[in-house]
Amino acid sequence: MALPGTEPLVRCESLSIGYADADGGLVPVVSDVSFTIAPGEAVGIVGESGSGKSTLARALLGYRRAGSAFLGGRLFYRDTDMAAATVTPAVVALRGTAVAMVPQNPLASLTFHMPVGRQVVEVLRTRAGLGRAAAGDRMLELLRRTGLPEPTELARRYPHQLSGGQRQRVVIAAALACNPDLLVLDEPTTALDKTTEAQVLELVADLRRDSGAALVLVTHDLNVVARVCERVLVMKDGRIVEDGPVGRVFSRPRTAYARQLLGAALLIDPQRAPQARPRTAELLSLRDVAFSHARAGWFGRAPAVRRTLDQISVDVGRGEVLGVIGESGSGKTTLGLLLAGMLTPQAGAICFEGHPLAPHVADRTRDQRRRIQMVFQDPLSSLNPRQTVGSALIRPLRHFFGLDCTAAHERTAALLARLGMGPEYLDRFPRQLSGGQQQRVAIARAFAAEPDLLICDEITSALDASVQAQVLDHLLELQRGSAAAMLVITHDLSVIWKVAPRVIVLKDGHIVEQGATEAVFGHPKDRYTADLLESATLAARLVATA
Amino acid sequence: MLSAVLRRVFLSLLTLFFLAAFIFAATEILPGDALDVTLSADEMAMMPPERLAEMKRDLGLDRPAVERLGAFLLGVAQLDFGRTIISRAPVVDIVAYPLRNSLLLAGAVIVTALPLALILGVSAARWYRRPLDNVVSTGVIVGYSVPEFVIGTFLVMLFAVTWPLFPATITASTRDPALTLLAAAPLPVATILIGSIAYLARILRVGMVDALASDFVERLRLMGVPEWRVLLLHALPAAVVPSLMATALYAAALVSGIVVVELVFAYPGLGQELVRAVTRREVHVIQAIALASAAIVVVFNLLADLAILALDPRTRM
Repeated sequence: MALPGTEPLVRCESLSIGYADADGGLVPVVSDVSFTIAPGEAVGIVGESGSGKSTLARALLGYRRAGSAFLGGRLFYRDTDMAAATVTPAVVALRGTAVAMVPQNPLASLTFHMPVGRQVVEVLRTRAGLGRAAAGDRMLELLRRTGLPEPTELARRYPHQLSGGQRQRVVIAAALACNPDLLVLDEPTTALDKTTEAQVLELVADLRRDSGAALVLVTHDLNVVARVCERVLVMKDGRIVEDGPVGRVFSRPRTAYARQLLGAALLIDPQRAPQARPRTAELLSLRDVAFSHARAGWFGRAPAVRRTLDQISVDVGRGEVLGVIGESGSGKTTLGLLLAGMLTPQAGAICFEGHPLAPHVADRTRDQRRRIQMVFQDPLSSLNPRQTVGSALIRPLRHFFGLDCTAAHERTAALLARLGMGPEYLDRFPRQLSGGQQQRVAIARAFAAEPDLLICDEITSALDASVQAQVLDHLLELQRGSAAAMLVITHDLSVIWKVAPRVIVLKDGHIVEQGATEAVFGHPKDRYTADLLESATLAARLVATA
Repeated sequence: MLSAVLRRVFLSLLTLFFLAAFIFAATEILPGDALDVTLSADEMAMMPPERLAEMKRDLGLDRPAVERLGAFLLGVAQLDFGRTIISRAPVVDIVAYPLRNSLLLAGAVIVTALPLALILGVSAARWYRRPLDNVVSTGVIVGYSVPEFVIGTFLVMLFAVTWPLFPATITASTRDPALTLLAAAPLPVATILIGSIAYLARILRVGMVDALASDFVERLRLMGVPEWRVLLLHALPAAVVPSLMATALYAAALVSGIVVVELVFAYPGLGQELVRAVTRREVHVIQAIALASAAIVVVFNLLADLAILALDPRTRM
């Protein structure tokens, strides 16, 4: 925390930044923002996509993307004006040396045709002014300090030969090269899985303790803020709506928007556990299902990689909601695709209502195809952009039930109404809808077929927290009304907590834990599940304890 | 790395083999054999049937197609394309020098065009949508769309007629040393050069604009790494990778496809030889030129592949 009387490191006074729109005008994405950052302080900036948080983060380095400009206000790093009309040499001199940034996408932030060690050396030589030998030694030291194994060997590798977490560590090592006083991290862990995220955040916290640098962490994930930051700025529509210590903002949010963000955070409260309905007849059962992408090529044998899915045995009752948790690469999407008949398992059996289900969708009967429906993560790419909402919804009705146009039209309007959308949306095209509306249309399309099993693959991942809740509410309502069973696949534990009474946890293609959600979340037996829960509930625990 | 190189070389050889077989088959499918095609209708009518049959036997045309295909492929493998039907001159001798001359012309163009196109493309992308970019982009479209015979005629009028600096047609002959030929050919080189610079600059500009918009360039700029390093050491190699294949195909097309320019300036290249062979119906020469053109495409493709392997580590799997 800033001691009274100390000079702030960053001073931002009613700063506004605009982006050029199609007409050549400037639309403000950051408006009238004021705050200060003290030396050594750790500040989180949270907000939904489009709230201007990344634009503000880049502005801290005096950087703006092509097409954007400072509209007004002042931004100082110590005595240097970072928001001058043109980028001054004084600003460029600070970049990488006094203020360093770790940009959003660690997977693409390294030059793909250059060994990673050389990219760190480059910063050391051009920015820290070290000689060749000194830079080489310091590079290895930095890689070691960021926890990378065997730095000498790793430095010679190219970015694509490193894992996402390792690439992020290299980017952080380059950012730390000149011992900056301010380190700006933009969504440093969004592209990483939960286990790696925890390691990277730990590293960031350690490095900060060692170097005493101030930290600005931009994220949409409150748990990340809770783990690393002391102060938090909440942004909405380009404005700072809340600014205060993390504990205070999380426990007593002053604005409705901050309350809404916090509401989406996972809180394990037994009284609010999803309630299981009494066990009903079996709808779907999987026995020892296995799948592997590895195939023998024309010239080579199949590579001996681990199976994407192995020994999967699950039962789903009629009308039951089953949650599937796992991080990227755990095989959870593959499981959905197997059930939908898009992939063929190499072993095991899938039974639907006691009858074996053909592995490939083309071999299933029309009725089986109707009864198993799927909703995907990205609604925009799963809806035909040239088809109106109406025609997208009418198609399954006419295809499966042979309804005539007027009857189908009425059913469609009724379905949309149940999702909280008026009939005027029937004539719109997907691009004219918001992300939440698009996803609701995709859900309506799946329910139009009156399925017995609905596979939902990360259907809320592309949506902002406030919209997520709305879409989930509508989904649950429709599901209860239709008594369809659902398989809810997600990496987001709060979604599972909200909708699924029973859950399976996937890791590396195996089921590591399964049971009632309340039991699994309350007392995880597996170490991996415990880790997932630990990182997902930080913000909520802070709310509860403060 | 080595296996990736060997695989590409092997595939190139395989492609060449199929191309040779295809060229043989294409001439085989046409009505009549090599002799029928070579002789005009009058000559055919004049010739007694026994004489015709005898000639066919001498030329080996009475053998089954498969046998002749085998002989053809065996000959190709030893760079022996047989002899012409009438004059019995070795085809290799007829084609070799025009091929060299065409390669010379294309080489001279590429060597001059590449650096200029690089400078234009990179600076246009660096000042994307600024005045410089607008000038370059407009110039590129003009240079690319004006046909070569127009540019050629224009250059001849300007530099051979109004100011007689260079010869209007090539004064050197087919078998002159390379330098003599090049010294006599500034106008054809300049003619092709304009379109080539335009084409190459256009590809490079697009690649460079993409590379400069990438995340790694933003990271480098945020780190304050000097702009020339960002441009030349990071963005340029990334921009060249997607342009290489198009450049290789363009260079290959230059060798075999500048018939118009060769005719305008009477340049003794492959295109002119092809026109001559077609009018004289020398089937074996046409086969050899077709195969040489195809081989050049394959070889340039292979070179581009190898260059991409060198530049993009992600392809070395």
